[in-house]
Amino acid sequence: MSLSVDLQSRETVPRWLAYGAPLLTILAALVVASIPLLWIGVNPILAYDEIFFGTTTNLGGIADILTTAVPLFLAGLAVYIPLKAGLWNIGAEGQLYVGAIVGTYIALNVGLPTYILLPVMVLAAGVAASVYGAVPGYLRAEYNVNEIISSLMLTFTATTFAGYLLRGPMQGRGGQTATNRLPEAAQLPTVLHPRLHVGVVVLLVVAVLGYLLLSRTRIGYEITFIGSNPEAAKQAGISSYKIYILVFLGGGFLAGLAGMIEIAGVHGRLFESFSPGYGFTAIAVALLGRNGVFRVLLAALFFGILTAGGTTIAITQDVPNALIDVIVALTILFLLTAEFVKEYRLDVEFGSDPEPDAEPGVEGSA
Amino acid sequence: MSIIAGTLESTVRLATPLLLAAMGEVIAERSGVLNLGVEGMMLAGALAGFAGAVTTGSLWIGFGIGMIAGILLALLHAFLCITLKADQVISGIMLTLLGIGLTTYFGRPWVGQNIDGFATLTIPGLSEIPVIGQAFFSVTALDYLGLLLVPVVWYFLFRTNIGAEITAVGEDPETADTAGVPVFRIQYACVLLGGALAGAAGAQLSLAFTNFWGVEMVAGRGWIAVALVIFAQWQIWRVLAGAYLFAGIDALSFRSGAVRDAVLDILDFAVLESTIEFLLNPQVMNTYPYIMTIVVLWYVMRRGNLNELGAPSSLLQAYSREQD
Repeated sequence: MSLSVDLQSRETVPRWLAYGAPLLTILAALVVASIPLLWIGVNPILAYDEIFFGTTTNLGGIADILTTAVPLFLAGLAVYIPLKAGLWNIGAEGQLYVGAIVGTYIALNVGLPTYILLPVMVLAAGVAASVYGAVPGYLRAEYNVNEIISSLMLTFTATTFAGYLLRGPMQGRGGQTATNRLPEAAQLPTVLHPRLHVGVVVLLVVAVLGYLLLSRTRIGYEITFIGSNPEAAKQAGISSYKIYILVFLGGGFLAGLAGMIEIAGVHGRLFESFSPGYGFTAIAVALLGRNGVFRVLLAALFFGILTAGGTTIAITQDVPNALIDVIVALTILFLLTAEFVKEYRLDVEFGSDPEPDAEPGVEGSA
Repeated sequence: MSIIAGTLESTVRLATPLLLAAMGEVIAERSGVLNLGVEGMMLAGALAGFAGAVTTGSLWIGFGIGMIAGILLALLHAFLCITLKADQVISGIMLTLLGIGLTTYFGRPWVGQNIDGFATLTIPGLSEIPVIGQAFFSVTALDYLGLLLVPVVWYFLFRTNIGAEITAVGEDPETADTAGVPVFRIQYACVLLGGALAGAAGAQLSLAFTNFWGVEMVAGRGWIAVALVIFAQWQIWRVLAGAYLFAGIDALSFRSGAVRDAVLDILDFAVLESTIEFLLNPQVMNTYPYIMTIVVLWYVMRRGNLNELGAPSSLLQAYSREQD
């Protein structure tokens, strides 16, 4: 008796796998994440029940989910759009900070009526982050500098520099590493619930605009073409130079919006760690929803539920908030595994007479 | 001058974790596997090392456990990226997120405890050399270990057969495979070695630097180590120089007040005062390693020639054996 394992590339992805993979990976992550819950003596079923059904069944919980989904979705698109063109924007976190810094500066120093101030500060935040975000795109287009590294380096430059501003020029009264509170005119109004700010409309607006841009315009077509086949795109006369800069300009803009909406809608002032790593979770959001803008939105809502629910069980069941990071990371690590299953077929055969020279497709697969 | 001696002394101690983690990352990347999980592996090493040392009562056993924690996380990365051919960027970043999450979660009972960490070993005679004596010859065993590893890793990578095989795998895995080099085994070994060194770097922080465990105590040093590898263009001696440069900046930023006064004494121009104060602000100084890395990348790549950078050619590309 012997066991032979054969690995083959799939020619087509079965339907159930294409649709079921994200759900299966989430399920697998939740199962594995129940180990740390059991470790501290918490019943995983009760914890998950509270995360998924406790938050979604009351207005306060829904407000938290939607407001958390805003930065996750916008920053998720900041990763997703360059990814469509085949580039990695690992710097959404830094772009978020740049937007928040510039927007907060305007909110604190420019006296305008609310209906002018709000759009001005949010757009200025987007533009500043857009310019900052375009640096890796430009370096890649002009000098072939790896955008992964440069966007990562610029993230830490921005977050560290925010630390300087909050201890120096932008520090507010009271000696904390934070700015003063934004004036009333610069805070986003709320609807229905005191924690539900009007910024959540961007979820819908940006989702529709993003969808139209990517699938109904020439630019969107060029982005997808370059991402799927750079050589053919070059043959077809599409300039990757322009697209590389454009996707980073657009991504940075959205991340900047995310930063300022978070400040003006949730915190009311800028402080050092206002973002709990939204720009990095955004990478998970973009990946989980990688087959379309609306899926990115779904992924952002899912991680929004997790984050909001995580905050709740931290209080009610004394589960460290860090569990959410673990679940997010596990989801994506399982997704990577599922990608492999999608691309390769694993045939396990029991036979008595293996071919002597049979080579497994991948070492270590047996 | 005591500023110089004092700065030099903290530079040596601050350089050790960067040196260990960056050398590990150079080994992994030279085999073609980028691991952006250094920060997470260092956190795992810091917590496991601390918990291990407190539980067993032995600093060295704790240090070993810290290395094992780094290896375990690296194993996950190796399995995903080498066996399953997953995207190295995503896997690495998720590894960092996992490391942050797990250590914050399981580290809670250890917060607030202290340990008698690795003691300073003073080498008689040498430590009395002015200025550099205290800095280099009156440090902990782990600082000596980090420094001694530099020529060892250099020799291993550039003067041994295995080192040549690693380079071959990182440059052109297909040809290496044809020549009989066990590509997958070498990549696994390099990634695990990288994990061990990152774990060691983290354990050095909790057992010889802070002497306690704190949430996210690695504080971005893992990312600086990643930057350092690129800054050093994958060369071991340049990693040594870069580690001292980055650690030196960090050490100076602790003494920014004194440094600023000293600089203003020399450059006594009223117009420059605010600029100098800005440039020598501790937070502003902490951005220098990142900015310098981008500048090096840009400077080397400004003619668009990837070969000049020195990056392994097959970095980021998973190797698949051709099917017959």
